[in-house]
Amino acid sequence: MGRRLLIAVPYLWLLALFLIPFLIVLKISLSDPELAIPPYTPTLDWREGWAGFTEFLSQLDFENFVFLTEDDLYWKAYLSSLQIAALSTLLALLVGYPIAYAMARAAPEWRPTLLMLVILPFWTSFLIRVYSWIGILSTEGYLNQFLLGIGVISEPLTILNTNVAVYIGIVYTYLPFMILPIYAALEKLDDSLLEAAEDLGCSRLSAFWLVTVPLSKAGIIAGCFLVFIPALGEFVIPSLLGGSETLMIGKVLWEEFFSNRDWPVASAVAVVLLLILIVPIVLFQRNEQRQREAEG
Amino acid sequence: MADSAEARPMPHGGIFEPWNDPTASPLIRFENVTKRFGDFTAIDDLTIDIFEREFYALLGPSGCGKTTLMRMLAGFETPTEGTILLAGQDISPIPPNKRAVNMMFQSYALFPHLSVWENIAFGLKREGMAKSEIDARVDEMLRLTRLERFAKRKPHQISGGQRQRVALARSLAKAPKLLLLDEPLGALDKKLRQETQFELMDIQEKTGTTFVIVTHDQEEAMTVASRVAVMDEGRIIQVATPDAIYEDPSSVYVADFIGDVNLIEGRARPEGDALLLDWAEGERPLRCKTSKSFSAGQTCHLAIRPEKLTISAEEPAEADNRARGRILDIAYLGNISTYHVELPGGLVLKAQAANTRRIARRSFTWEDEVWLSWTETAGVALER
Amino acid sequence: MTKSLVTTVAASALLAGMALADEVRVYNWSDYIDEGLLEKFEEETGIDLIYDVFDSNEVLETKLLAGGSGYDVVVPSGTFLQRQIAAGAFQPLDYDMLPNAENLWDVIQARTETYDPGGAHSINYMWGTTGIGVNVEKVTEVLGPDAPIDSLSLIFEPENMAQLADCGVHFLDAPAEMFPAALAYMGEDPDSHDPDVIAQTEEMFTAIRPYVQKFHSSEYINALANGEICVAFGWSGDILQAGWRAAEAENGVEIAYNAPKEGALMWFDQMAIPADAPNPDAAHVFLNFIMDPENIAAASNYVYYANGNEASKPLLLEDVIGDPAIYPDEATLANLYTTTPYPSRTQRAVTRLWTKIKSGT
Repeated sequence: MGRRLLIAVPYLWLLALFLIPFLIVLKISLSDPELAIPPYTPTLDWREGWAGFTEFLSQLDFENFVFLTEDDLYWKAYLSSLQIAALSTLLALLVGYPIAYAMARAAPEWRPTLLMLVILPFWTSFLIRVYSWIGILSTEGYLNQFLLGIGVISEPLTILNTNVAVYIGIVYTYLPFMILPIYAALEKLDDSLLEAAEDLGCSRLSAFWLVTVPLSKAGIIAGCFLVFIPALGEFVIPSLLGGSETLMIGKVLWEEFFSNRDWPVASAVAVVLLLILIVPIVLFQRNEQRQREAEG
Repeated sequence: MADSAEARPMPHGGIFEPWNDPTASPLIRFENVTKRFGDFTAIDDLTIDIFEREFYALLGPSGCGKTTLMRMLAGFETPTEGTILLAGQDISPIPPNKRAVNMMFQSYALFPHLSVWENIAFGLKREGMAKSEIDARVDEMLRLTRLERFAKRKPHQISGGQRQRVALARSLAKAPKLLLLDEPLGALDKKLRQETQFELMDIQEKTGTTFVIVTHDQEEAMTVASRVAVMDEGRIIQVATPDAIYEDPSSVYVADFIGDVNLIEGRARPEGDALLLDWAEGERPLRCKTSKSFSAGQTCHLAIRPEKLTISAEEPAEADNRARGRILDIAYLGNISTYHVELPGGLVLKAQAANTRRIARRSFTWEDEVWLSWTETAGVALER
Repeated sequence: MTKSLVTTVAASALLAGMALADEVRVYNWSDYIDEGLLEKFEEETGIDLIYDVFDSNEVLETKLLAGGSGYDVVVPSGTFLQRQIAAGAFQPLDYDMLPNAENLWDVIQARTETYDPGGAHSINYMWGTTGIGVNVEKVTEVLGPDAPIDSLSLIFEPENMAQLADCGVHFLDAPAEMFPAALAYMGEDPDSHDPDVIAQTEEMFTAIRPYVQKFHSSEYINALANGEICVAFGWSGDILQAGWRAAEAENGVEIAYNAPKEGALMWFDQMAIPADAPNPDAAHVFLNFIMDPENIAAASNYVYYANGNEASKPLLLEDVIGDPAIYPDEATLANLYTTTPYPSRTQRAVTRLWTKIKSGT
C-alpha cells in the first residue's frame, strides 16, 4: 500500500502540473475568442448538467488549428524557431564539449571548483545576465570598445538586435545544461580505455572519436535535449537581444495572447509547439531508457 | 602465427634457454633505464634482456616499479634516462599506437559500447585490414579463447572470466611481437585464476608470442613464467627461472618474497666447500654447502624451505644438521601440515610434512618435544 | 449609561466598517507617481495602500480578462479601457463618493468621452502625446540645421532615414501607435479601422524598414540618453525622461521632443475600478484622493506628465505647465488626434501586418 502510494506521487504530480493545465489549454484552443471575462467562449457551466456539457462540447472545433495552416507566419515561425534552436544547440555542443572535457580531465581536486564555476551563473537572475549582454554587445558596448581599442575593427560591429546576439544569448544561458551531462559522462570514462585504444593503433584523435565520443553519447544527447527544448520556445532572449526580424514562435505566441487577445489561437499555437516538442522529448526518454538498460 | 608455435621446443623443458646462449640477441633490452616522477624514482638504472617467445614475469610488491616498466614498454611512459630496444631498435620515440606491442589491461579496458566481436576487431580495423581478413582473424581469436558463442554480447553481458578472455583475444588479435599483461588474473577468483594460468601458458605456446606479465602473486609468476624478475624499489633483485628463484635465491629478500622460508642468522666459519654457521651460544653450528666464499666471522643467513626440514620424535642418527625443539603450533592445510617448532634459543622454525596418514593417527601434537634435521645441501647461505 | 453604550456600539460599527475597507490595492504603471503621495494617502485615510506596478497595457489587460486580479484600482490607457469596459471588466463609478471630480478638466473630459462615455467607469490620471525624440546635435550633423525634427517626414521619408540609419533610429513596437502616425502622414484618417486603408502604409514602412535599428517600446529611453541612437518615435514622457537622464549623466547629449506638426496621437491613462475589486469603497477613496488638486499636482510635478485636473494647474511647476512638450499650446492641442480600439478582426490584421513589416514574414 505504502509502495503504491509512493509510485502515485509522481503521477499525481504529472497530472496536476502537466496534464490538467494541458487539457485546459487544449480546451481553450478549441474555443472562439470573445470580448468577455474570460475572453473566449464557450465556458463550461456545471449547473446545466449533462445537457450543458454536451452543448459545451458541440461548440468546440478545430477552427483555430485550421487557421494556423492558412497563414504562412506560423509555420515559418515554427521552422525559424527550430532552426535557431538547432543551431544554438549545435553551438552549445561545440562550446560545451571542450569545457566538459577539460573539466573531466582536470585534476580531481580542481573538479568541484570547476563544477561550481559552471553552476555559479545560476545564482544570478537570468534576466540580469541576459541584460548584461546588451551592455556587452551594443554598438557602444564593451566588446566593440575592446575590439576598436586593440584595432581589430575600425567600425563598431552590429551584433545586438541580430540573430547572432540571439545565438550568443541562448548558448550562454543554456551552456551549463550542455556541460553538466557531458561532464558526468566523461568523468566516468576510464582512462585505461583510451590507453587501450592507443595501444590498439588509434592516434589520440581517433581514440577520441572512437572511444570518448561514443561513450559520452548519452551525455551529448541529454545535453542537446536540455538546450534544444527550452530554446525552441524561448521568448525572453530573442525579445531582449534579437532584432525585429528574429522570428520565433515564442514571440508569435506572445503577440497572439497579448496583442491580439486571441487566447484560443494562442492556445492552438502552444498546443502545436507542445506536439513539436513531444517528439524530441519521447526520443530523449527512449534514449534514457536504453541507457539504463545498457548499464543494466 | 599459431603454426609457427609447433616448431618450437617446450619453453620449460630445459632446451629453451636463450638467456644462457651468448649468441642469442634479446627481443627487448633495457639499458640503464631510469624513470623518475618528480622526486620519486620509479625505475632505478635498470638493465634487463627479454628474449623472443619468453614468458617473462615481473614480480614484486606494489610500488616496486613493475607497472612503470611495463608502461614504458607499451609507450605510455618514456624513460628519463637510458634506452629501451625492441628488436635492436630504440623505441622511445615511437608512440604507443605505432608499436608492435599490445597490452592487456588490469581492468581489461574493454570498450563498453562495442560487442565482443567489435572489441577484438578494433585493433585490426585500425590497421586497415581487409574485411574478410578481419572476419577470419576475429573468428580465430574467438576460437582460441573459446568465446564463439559470445561474439555478439556486450562486455557487461558476460562473466568476469569471459571478459578476461576477450581482453586477451583483443590484445593478441594484432599478433604483436610482444604482449604485455598487467595483473591479468587479478580480478578472478582463485580457482578460475589457476585454470586461466594454464590457459594463458597454452595460448602463449600456441601463438609463440613473447609475453611479459606483471604480477604481485608469486605463485602465479612461478606457474606461468619461463623466467621471473623479482623487483623491489625500482631495481631488479634477481632474474632466474622459477625453480632457480625458489631453490637458489640470491638474497634474503628474494628468499623471503618467494614462498615460505626459515631464516637463521649467524656468523660464518668457512670449511672447504662448506660453511659452518654459529647461530646460537652452546648450539651446534649448522653446516651448509655453498659455492660462495665467506670470510670468517662474517654475518650470514641460512635460508631453508620448510619442506626441506624433517621432523622426528627420536634424534636422527646421521643428519648434517639437527636441532631439538617443542611444537608451538600446527597449521593443518589438508595435504600438508606446517609445524612451528620453537628452538631453545627462542627461534621458531617451520617444518612441513605431508599428511600421508589420517589425522587421528598423526604422530605429533602440540607441546611435543621433537627433532628437526636437514642435510647440508638443503639450505642456501646468503650474505644479505 | 445608555448614551455611552450607544456611543460604544457606534464606535464598534465604525471600526468594523473601517476594517472592511482597511486596504486598497492599486496597480499602476511603473515610475508613474510621487511615492510621497502613497504615504500621505495612508496617513490621511488610515487605509493600507498596496501599490504594484506594470509596464504594458497588454499585461494589465490579460490580468483583467483572466478575472480575479485582486486589484481595486487599475490604470489602463484609453483604447484598452474602452474594450475592457465592453468586456465588463469595470464597475461604474459612484460619483457621490467622488466630490473632487468637480476639479476635472473639461477639455480632457471631452476627449476621453470616446473611450468612456460620461466618465461612467473612469477618471483621467495623466495624458500625453506620441511624437519624435531627437538627439539635436547628431541629427543636425546628419541632416543640417533645417532637419525637420517636428515633422513625420523625418521618420517616414526614406532619404532622411537612410542618412539617420547610421546614428540609429528606434520605433515603438506598438502597431496602435505606429499605423495612426503613418496614416496621418499620408493624409488618411489616423483612426481608420479599415484593414485595406491601413495596409496602404505597408509600402512606406517597407521603404524605411532597413533603416530602423529596433522596434521596441522602452529601450529607446536609455539608448537616446546614452547617445546610442539619434531618433526615437516614442511617448512624450519617455523622451523627456531620456533628456533628464542625459542631463543628469552630463554626457553632453541634448534631447528634444516634438509632437509632429502633421498631427500627433494623444493618449490617456485612466483610473478605473475592476468589476471584481475586493474593496470598491476604498478604491473610491483613493480616486477622490488623486483628484485633489494638490495631490495630482504633486504627481505631475514628479513625473512630468500632464494631468486631467483643471484645478491643479496653478499648483504645477513652471517647467511642467510651461513646457509645450507637456502642456501643448492651443494650436498644437487642436492638432492632436485620438484613436479608438480596433475590432478584433482588424486587430488581427494590424498585428499581422506589423509582424510582416518588422520581420518580412
